[in-house]
Amino acid sequence: MPNASSGTRASGPTTARVVRTAALLALVVVVLLFPSLAPDPFILSVGVVILSYAVLATSWNLVGGFTGYISLGHAAYSGLGGYATALLILRSGLNPWLALVVGALIVALIAIPVGIASLRVRGASFVIVSIALVLILQLTFQSWHTFTGGSGGLRVPRPFGPDVLRPEQHERFFYLHAVLLALALLTWWAIERSRLGAGLKAIREDEDKAQALGVPTFAYKLTALVTSAFFTALGGGLYALWFGYLDPIFQFSILVGTYMVLMSLLGGVRSLFGPLLGAVVVGYAVEVFKSQYGDTQFHLVATGILLGLVVLFMPDGVIPALTSFLNRRRRAASIREVSAEELARQREEATR
Amino acid sequence: MTGALFAQSLVLGVLLGGLYALLAAGLTLYFGVMRVVMIAHSAFLILAAYLAWYFHERTGIDPLLSLVVTVPLFFVVGYGMQRFLVSRLRPITLTTMSVLLTFAVALTIEGLLGFVWTGTQRRIQLGYSGTSIEVAGVSIAVVKLVAFGLAALSLGALYLILRRTSFGRALRATTQHPEAARLIGIDTDRVAGLGFGLGLATAAVGGTALALDYTIYPSLHWHWIGPLMAIIVVGGLGSIPGAAIAALLLGVAASLLQVPLGTTWAQTVFYLALFVTLMIRPQGFFGGRLAQRF
Repeated sequence: MPNASSGTRASGPTTARVVRTAALLALVVVVLLFPSLAPDPFILSVGVVILSYAVLATSWNLVGGFTGYISLGHAAYSGLGGYATALLILRSGLNPWLALVVGALIVALIAIPVGIASLRVRGASFVIVSIALVLILQLTFQSWHTFTGGSGGLRVPRPFGPDVLRPEQHERFFYLHAVLLALALLTWWAIERSRLGAGLKAIREDEDKAQALGVPTFAYKLTALVTSAFFTALGGGLYALWFGYLDPIFQFSILVGTYMVLMSLLGGVRSLFGPLLGAVVVGYAVEVFKSQYGDTQFHLVATGILLGLVVLFMPDGVIPALTSFLNRRRRAASIREVSAEELARQREEATR
Repeated sequence: MTGALFAQSLVLGVLLGGLYALLAAGLTLYFGVMRVVMIAHSAFLILAAYLAWYFHERTGIDPLLSLVVTVPLFFVVGYGMQRFLVSRLRPITLTTMSVLLTFAVALTIEGLLGFVWTGTQRRIQLGYSGTSIEVAGVSIAVVKLVAFGLAALSLGALYLILRRTSFGRALRATTQHPEAARLIGIDTDRVAGLGFGLGLATAAVGGTALALDYTIYPSLHWHWIGPLMAIIVVGGLGSIPGAAIAALLLGVAASLLQVPLGTTWAQTVFYLALFVTLMIRPQGFFGGRLAQRF
């Protein structure tokens, strides 16, 4: 992971840059080679699922990581993205790839009123609305038989012709997901370096102070949410095109939203590659669990306990925990980002 | 809609609203003392319902008697949950992290319920399950009346505890201004723990009432937490009277809409109310100062 090397910054920016670039290249090479290395189509399909999780978690992090507003209902946007893509293909005969983009744009539009309702006030309402959104969408999509296919589900037409066989499908979608992931990561990276990113991070650390300094907090938060919804919808739509079938229970599932939070939190919401790392770990664990033990209730318990442990003991994630460990060993650079929490702790220790 | 049907739905709505009011009062208590949105509230509700069902299944005694065990048990669990889990979180990120933590607890409970008692739907059959009384052309099932009575009694008791006892005064002081409460010598940590216990005790009562009248299954709690959260936002976060009024109004509205629209679509009235409230009056309709910033 390139970020783990940020602790070596003290030994000179050039070395750190070389290490980072090398790690990034290695990551790209691994992703590119994975389909040809995968021993069988099943492993390849697991790879697609993990990449899809990585797309969703990275998209989630566009709002969760930057603003600190935790959304437990991001499955609403991925599910809507899937349905929008499928319905646009089925009902208006749109080209699948065009439908994917148009669908995601529609979902981004839907996110605007949701954001207006939930972002005007702080934290608690946002979470409540995010959960409510998933629950209401599940209800609606299950009951609205004539339009969404109801609880019976909806078959999504395949974008590639029948001559493209299954392993070939997996391989193509693997690369498509990789491209989408790269786009999401690039967006995160660009925002982090922008004025918008600085404003969002200020909101995360102390919204009152950010507002006092003239950050247009509401507009910034809304921008982050809409961008996040757009990418989440693209992720959901692409997954729907690959999987070929939509079931409201699984599309608008609280559990999918939880996975996104768990992955981002575990990897570290403040780092670019945190959600990706989390997605690889959690996604792999979920898939192994499913294939070993089937669909028992026990995965709920495991997810719940893991989430609880992360929240209690490692709320900043693996990457920050590692970086701070490395920083403690070597002297850290003089200017670096400090969270409001660390600042409070430092001040407390100074007054003691 | 005929007059008789209207009256019938109205009565059913009020009866359901009473149960909502009790549960929303519990949620409000957690939010008041700790600024915590307790997602696991309805999971504990279903747990209590399962305990009542299991108690009845095993002993054949009326499930209402299980309250003797579940209420104190839930009180202790709630106290422990606040003291050993929620209070460990860092204060600066408490609101969001506590949501995740209680969410994790909810998932764990749901999973364990499914693990121990499988996903099969359960229902208590009692001697008086099918009986109903008729008042002025409106027939009311006895179990619904019993559930409402339980809820009303507990709400009354809660009101007395909060208004008439010194602990209640301490709890209200902690809700209004924790720092000031500490300054005048209130042990706010202990009060917060007890407030949590009290909140969870409402889930025990509500769960038993629920078990009398509903078919229960492990994932049922999602159907409760959505409406309950809508109720506390509409009522104004942190206000118990507000929550009770909103619970009754929305309960009646959902019940009336059920006739023309059916059960599923009627449920959406809660989410619609949540959305409209946040759009036009984010601090809720009956809430006080506390709700402004959340």
